[in-house]
Amino acid sequence: MRSAKTEFWAGVVAEMPLMLGVIPFGLVFGVLGIASGLSPLETILLSSILFGGASQVVFAQLWGAGVPWMVVGGSVCVINLRHVLYSASLARYVTHLPLGWRVLLAYLLTDEAYAVTIQRLRTEPSGPNQHYFLLGSGLLLWAGWQITTIAGVLIGETIPDSWSLSFAIPLTFIAIVAPILKDRADLTAALTAGLLAMIGQPLPWKLWLILAAVGGILAGWLVHQHGKTKQGVA
Amino acid sequence: MIWLLMIATGLFTFATRFTMFSGLGRASLPSWLVDALNYVPIAVLTAIIVPAVLIDPASSTVAIVDNPRLYAALAAIAVALWTRQVVLTIVAGLGMLWLLQWLL
Repeated sequence: MRSAKTEFWAGVVAEMPLMLGVIPFGLVFGVLGIASGLSPLETILLSSILFGGASQVVFAQLWGAGVPWMVVGGSVCVINLRHVLYSASLARYVTHLPLGWRVLLAYLLTDEAYAVTIQRLRTEPSGPNQHYFLLGSGLLLWAGWQITTIAGVLIGETIPDSWSLSFAIPLTFIAIVAPILKDRADLTAALTAGLLAMIGQPLPWKLWLILAAVGGILAGWLVHQHGKTKQGVA
Repeated sequence: MIWLLMIATGLFTFATRFTMFSGLGRASLPSWLVDALNYVPIAVLTAIIVPAVLIDPASSTVAIVDNPRLYAALAAIAVALWTRQVVLTIVAGLGMLWLLQWLL
């Protein structure tokens, strides 16, 4: 059985490669928050109150552009709806924990922490301390996000755009997704999501993200069900 | 006003993360939903990747042939499949991007 400490540090170590994508993203957000007209304090606190990169960028851009507050709020909420799916995916591993633990782990549940945690839960033996893995990965990400936001605010726009460092974000996601595409259902989910993300670009409020996510999940699931049915007949 | 909006969206975002951790309805999570949830990371992450690669951030238009980010992404996919290492994938992708931007 792994100790709480072992699980915690395994979570920290697993999250480290993803920090290569998070660090430039945090810097970019810090720079962008100021450029959008938010105050340094508003930009920095947005990173701990919302704690969701894409939604923070949208918040800063729309608020800075003078978009009505209801549209800003609606867009942020829509983008963050995907966390319900992460929450559901991890629920069976955490619902037995005390309320304080569940509140803390929910607060730390991001794309990047989810990605490494679900991998650990699926591929490694389960144990009574496995929730420390999410705590470790989540805390590293949280600390890195706060520090880089502050650094971005301080640096301002001294990082030239020509470095294209924000491109490390999709590259990080490629590193996660490419190796887990194992069968036809996985490929269908990815192709459908990618196609819908492009087709849906004109939609308001960044709704393409939800459209592509739901469409991709549905397509993968349908192919998976079809495969199961055929197996059952044969 | 901005503070009210920040707190309201922050509470909503926390709620999306906490919903299923509340313990309500855990036993009733049906198997089709568990099956479907397997496709969440693939679908969501691919949905973020594809526009980030194919849409030119400067002009907001779709770019295919003369798009250094597309070739950088293809290099990254190859390295990801070959090595399964996040760091090497990022190095390959950014390296290819910088090389092409320098050449063109």
